[in-house]
Amino acid sequence: MTQRILIANRGEIAIRIMKACRKLGHEFVVLYTDADAESGHVDLARELGGPRSLYRIQSYLDANEVLSVADVAEATAVHPGYGFFAEDFRFARRVVRRDSPLTFIGPSWWVIRDLGDKINTKRIARSLGVPTIPGSDRPIYSEMEAEEIARNLFAFQRDQGLVNSCVLVKASAGGGGMGIEEVEDPDQFRSTYRRIRNYAKRNFNDEGVLIEQRIFDFNHLEVQVLSERGGERHVHFGTRNCSVQSTGMQKRIEVAPGFVPDELGYAFNAAKVLEDITNHSLTMAADVGYDSVGTWEWIVTPRGEPFLMEVNTRIQVENGVSAAIARIGGHDGTDLIAEQIRMAFGDGMGYAQDDITFDGVGIEYRIIAENPAQRFAPCSGTITRFSWTDQPWLTMHTQIPQDREYEIPMEYDPNLALAIIHGADLREAKERGTAFLDSLVLEGRAASGFNTNIDFLREKTASLLEF
Amino acid sequence: MLNVKELLEEIKASPYKEIVVRAPHTGVVEFAELAVGDAVVGRSGTYQEKPGTPLATLTREKNRKPINAPEKGEVQSIRTELEGQFVEAGEELLTIRHFLTRKEVIELILQQALHLFRAPERAKYYFIPEVDQKLKVSGKRSVKVHDGMDMLIVSRMKRETPLAYSGPDGIIYSVYFHRGENVDAGEPLLGICPEDQLSTIQDVVTRVQSEWEEE
Repeated sequence: MTQRILIANRGEIAIRIMKACRKLGHEFVVLYTDADAESGHVDLARELGGPRSLYRIQSYLDANEVLSVADVAEATAVHPGYGFFAEDFRFARRVVRRDSPLTFIGPSWWVIRDLGDKINTKRIARSLGVPTIPGSDRPIYSEMEAEEIARNLFAFQRDQGLVNSCVLVKASAGGGGMGIEEVEDPDQFRSTYRRIRNYAKRNFNDEGVLIEQRIFDFNHLEVQVLSERGGERHVHFGTRNCSVQSTGMQKRIEVAPGFVPDELGYAFNAAKVLEDITNHSLTMAADVGYDSVGTWEWIVTPRGEPFLMEVNTRIQVENGVSAAIARIGGHDGTDLIAEQIRMAFGDGMGYAQDDITFDGVGIEYRIIAENPAQRFAPCSGTITRFSWTDQPWLTMHTQIPQDREYEIPMEYDPNLALAIIHGADLREAKERGTAFLDSLVLEGRAASGFNTNIDFLREKTASLLEF
Repeated sequence: MLNVKELLEEIKASPYKEIVVRAPHTGVVEFAELAVGDAVVGRSGTYQEKPGTPLATLTREKNRKPINAPEKGEVQSIRTELEGQFVEAGEELLTIRHFLTRKEVIELILQQALHLFRAPERAKYYFIPEVDQKLKVSGKRSVKVHDGMDMLIVSRMKRETPLAYSGPDGIIYSVYFHRGENVDAGEPLLGICPEDQLSTIQDVVTRVQSEWEEE
């Protein structure tokens, strides 16, 4: 049956969802705000969706806006992309329980409730014997309690013989690396705690913070999971390594698979670590009855100890790099967004874990106008030229129009484009990645100088997956 | 020295401002019984507790949101063809011709007299918690500023960075930005009055108050 899917997100992910809808024979409805009027996702909606497929709203974060358009446009389902709605169980619940119910393309709301919160996740993981990071396992709202946890963590690290002890303060309701700061000096804890609390209040409307031990020199790994509606059948699409990040802990390069023990040497049994985190992730998925696409995020210490960090109950920015190396029944062209949509409407998976194989190495670059030398400060301004050389091993996802200048909106994430490179092995993927970055032209003008992260990406390519 | 008389004459030559009332969000619009030429008033009362003249309602997800006149004025145009229709956010609903108030004229003239600390880039601006607290408790003219003082938080693309004040020492006389709203690069954020010029500024205010007649 043809569905009409309202895409409650913007930019490149809205474009990928539109394309997945077309592939599956579904119609779509697209939203935009004034600030986004020039975005490529608006152009594509006009081109592919026809009249009644595009609506201007006041804010992407206003559920009433999304749902009022859904009714007027006669949508049958809502796809939240990877925005805040994707992990808001109240929104997911409202979508399916309202007078004109819609299908929510994502996990069932109770699954999001159980796993969408870092703290609940930690509790569930601990109950299943899955290793987690030392620290608080619920949001802290009291300054005195926060200080006591921090004091204990500093003392614990001192007892462990760590010279540079460090505590992380995180906005409990945050995600994607937003609202996280490190504290090295116990005397500085209070001011950092207050800053994060205020930031969390302003951005997520929730003052709760988490306090955790900071683990140094770790690698950030992920396990891509897909589960059928009903929560009975679970498969994985391999691992990713997302260790190349900005100083604000925002991902900049993702590589699939997470390690390459066949090509590089590790100080621990890397193949076993990948197997362990995959098994732990699938165990948790089965235990909670996970029923959509999701990502289990891990940190791995230099000694090869994995700790579960959180579960992202949504499609992630970097899903494409896993799809790039995954083959279903030996076929190329895996599309995890299309799979997520199919699962949401109750379609059977049609394949098992044995049917999923992996071929080569994928690298995803996040191309951003920012200044890595100044703590990755995002750059405001206008893009005047953006071009690259097409290659059979390259997939680009971007909302930047190529036929005109584009002013970068200040309201949203600074991601401009994602480039996904495929190679037979890490060596080839890195060579192709460097060739791509060399061919990339990204020019613009800004009051205080236009900067990009291309040189940073090139520099980091040389040592990808080394640990 | 500021030529208040000349500035006032300039403003008097064109004392109106056109206010475009737009749909604040999506919804089905119903206009109040208004006609072109009708007079409307803005929010009033000791505590600004009385809403302005009802202009329309916007119904979304079973919630009816009243849209009231933001300022005093005269209805200039109404888009009656939208009656009962679903409108997108930002759709123009009607326009009001507004005669500048004394307070607005004072602000316009003060922008010429005060040192304006301007937005270095398009972003949302917030006071740092310490300044915010002081402004809330003691009022804006209680906050002294000096060059290099940490004053604001710049929020853009979900990143927040501190911004220090640069300019002459003085007190915060006017605040031109609103919480959660974007300010364009070059737009004024704060009007700062050096303490030794406070009496001159007060003279300007008194003069406008006596010379500007509100409609």
